[in-house]
Amino acid sequence: MLIEIENLSVTFTAHGRQVRAVENVSLNVKAQESFGLVGESGSGKSTILRAICGLAPISGGSIRINGKPITHNRAFSRQVQMVFQDPYASLHPRHTLDRTLSEPLAIHGLPLTDAAITKALTDVGLPPNFRFRYPHQLSGGQRQRVAIARALMLQPEILLLDEPTSALDASVQAETLNLLSRLRAERGLTFLMVSHDLAVIDHMCDRILVMQHGRAVEELTRDALATAQMKTEYARSLFAASADRMLEG
Amino acid sequence: MSLLSVKNLRVTFDTEAGRVEAVRGVSFDLGRERLGIVGESGSGKTMTGRSVLRLIRPPGKIEADEMTFDGIDLMRASETEMRSLRGPRIAMVMQDPKYSLNPVMKVGAQLTEGLRQRDKLSKPAAYAKAIDALNAVQIRDPARVMEAYPHELSGGMGQRVMIAMMLIPNPDLLIADEPTSALDVTVQAEVLSILDNLVKTRGMGLIFISHDLRLVARFCDRVLVMYKGKVVEELAAKDLMHAKHPYTQGLLNCLPRIGGTRQPLPSLDRDASWAL
Amino acid sequence: MSTLITWLRDPNPASRMQSRLGQSYLSWLRLRRNALAMIGLTISLALIFIAIFAPILAPHDPITQELSRRLLPPGTPGNVLGTDDFGRDILSRILYGSRITLYIVMLVILTAPVVGLIIGTVAGYFGGWVDTVLMRITDIFLAFPKLILALALVAVLGPGMVNAVLAIALTSWPPYARVARAETLTVRNSDYIAAVKLQGAGPIRIIWGHVIPMCLPSVIIRVTLDMAGVILTAAGLGFLGLGVQPPLPEWGLMISAGRKFLFEQWWVATMPGLAIFIVSLGFNLLGDGLRDVLDPKSASK
Repeated sequence: MLIEIENLSVTFTAHGRQVRAVENVSLNVKAQESFGLVGESGSGKSTILRAICGLAPISGGSIRINGKPITHNRAFSRQVQMVFQDPYASLHPRHTLDRTLSEPLAIHGLPLTDAAITKALTDVGLPPNFRFRYPHQLSGGQRQRVAIARALMLQPEILLLDEPTSALDASVQAETLNLLSRLRAERGLTFLMVSHDLAVIDHMCDRILVMQHGRAVEELTRDALATAQMKTEYARSLFAASADRMLEG
Repeated sequence: MSLLSVKNLRVTFDTEAGRVEAVRGVSFDLGRERLGIVGESGSGKTMTGRSVLRLIRPPGKIEADEMTFDGIDLMRASETEMRSLRGPRIAMVMQDPKYSLNPVMKVGAQLTEGLRQRDKLSKPAAYAKAIDALNAVQIRDPARVMEAYPHELSGGMGQRVMIAMMLIPNPDLLIADEPTSALDVTVQAEVLSILDNLVKTRGMGLIFISHDLRLVARFCDRVLVMYKGKVVEELAAKDLMHAKHPYTQGLLNCLPRIGGTRQPLPSLDRDASWAL
Repeated sequence: MSTLITWLRDPNPASRMQSRLGQSYLSWLRLRRNALAMIGLTISLALIFIAIFAPILAPHDPITQELSRRLLPPGTPGNVLGTDDFGRDILSRILYGSRITLYIVMLVILTAPVVGLIIGTVAGYFGGWVDTVLMRITDIFLAFPKLILALALVAVLGPGMVNAVLAIALTSWPPYARVARAETLTVRNSDYIAAVKLQGAGPIRIIWGHVIPMCLPSVIIRVTLDMAGVILTAAGLGFLGLGVQPPLPEWGLMISAGRKFLFEQWWVATMPGLAIFIVSLGFNLLGDGLRDVLDPKSASK
């Protein structure tokens, strides 16, 4: 198992009140597998990703990668990277794409070449002459491509995807999902993907964990989802409400 | 006679980066029916909705050969006349209730404000009417919601309050701009059925603006598909599956489906001629 | 010229330089639309121009006394704005005085905002006890009226131009620290900071490379709006005899000297007063215009 999460709990303290965002969630992801977390807002699915990255306080349980408990050092950042939900908020508004993409190389003291930046852009399907543009000169889909390129600069094994397409138009979502699938096949990446859209998760992931109110509800394989073999009521209602069902209904 | 008639509507922005045409010659007629406007971001669908209320911020400019609402020429109406239309006759529900409700006022005060000032209702009468409105959008505990601040409400609850607020003056036309996009799927269905009921029972006209073609098809009578500021296709919602324009077809096909194949999703190849 | 503009507006710049210049060009276009800001900019540029070319522009030496021509009214041939009680040409003194004003302004710009930015961003980024300690220090400085604190500092350090600048700088950094901290708090939890943290960047790199660029616009706006205050504080110190020492032609000092004849020879105090007024107004107008251009909230849209 590449990622092992055991009885993870995350508790935020806000104004003296304790909010348990994640309670006793366990999951395992094999190398080169694509694992999906699905749930509605407040289900704690994004919090799990943030906890892996050290952006949320872990109050119980453990996270191991390659059998070792995680430490948030530079080696970790070369192993795990994340793509955020909102492409308008995840790129520095005053940095050119060139700066955004070269920053990870500079941090790790890796050789910073023109070719590396150009290749990173072309790999995600952006023309090289976008290199000195600012984020506000790009569309949402193009920004998300830059965010993906940035996450891949350090050549991580694991990519955490936090609703990578929910802020995008349907046609752009399709392009972005295709890009992610292609990159995963080419580079043998492991995905841990979060989405509220069951259809997107189904398209991208081999196994799926349904979450509600910070708890794991049910783990499903792709086949079980396709044939609507859910055991819990909640997973079934989520399946029924999924946009994909609406036209037939 | 139609409720709203728009002919050759144009919205242009003069910015330092040049002239931007957000809406380029949109025409439509609306009776007491549900009209959906669908398009991706930047298609001008929101601008079209806002132009009807003349709510375009400078440097944006609205031009139209004709824009009449119930016999009133919206292009010539003074700002005072527009203000008396916005709310009582034409209401608008925006995407995110977080930004449309005043964060430092209790929900009850916001709901009764208009009734007290515009309709000169007494305090108890306004309160009763507000409670009725909250009941109409299926809020279970209206008295508690009246005493709450907007941040204490969930997204779905906030959006219901928004809809209740818009419906209190009993408008003839409701413009709903992505009213459910910020909501969870299970809540989305509830809010839509509330809207649907209200439109049916009150006989309002509805302009439903959304990026989600399937949602609009399920919910509206007629659909306008917009691309780069133009209407590329207009069709009855039930004929959506037989859409002719490649853009509409592309929008329908590019969504992943549960149990679909793992093949790359069909991408939308934009033809330059669509925008002409 | 037109090729230069196409180069600046190229949507696909070929170098960092071109992209930065292109952005500046767009900002300039936005600034140019604001007539008041352009007046402010003209005044500020005129101040710099006059300061550089004072020896050429000034008809007389600003320090040489000519007692036979003392207290001549404005309009006297050879002394357009009149003379003061030592027979020195007021116009020449104002022109030379712009050098001192500009010098003080420059030194304050180079010190106070930098100190404020660093303290504010560090406090905002780290939070916790670092924030508490740094912000309480800031509060202590803010608790004193500016001029009183400057007076106390000059009294300890001794009068003189450099000490006056030091005193002004030491009293004017707290507002910048406050602005920078507030801006940092909004930036700190954004996704792009989370992303760079995740890439393994340390706090110094994040603050310097990612947080400060976001705070800079609001601080720059604040600086231009404060310039008027700095000039006035410097003039105030000069007026009280604690800043620049005679016979140097500092504007506040000139007003102070003219105070004795305010009712009979009004121009001695009024002319430098007008100079202070115009320059302060210029910086204020420019600051207002820059707010529209640089404000990250409006620029990001």
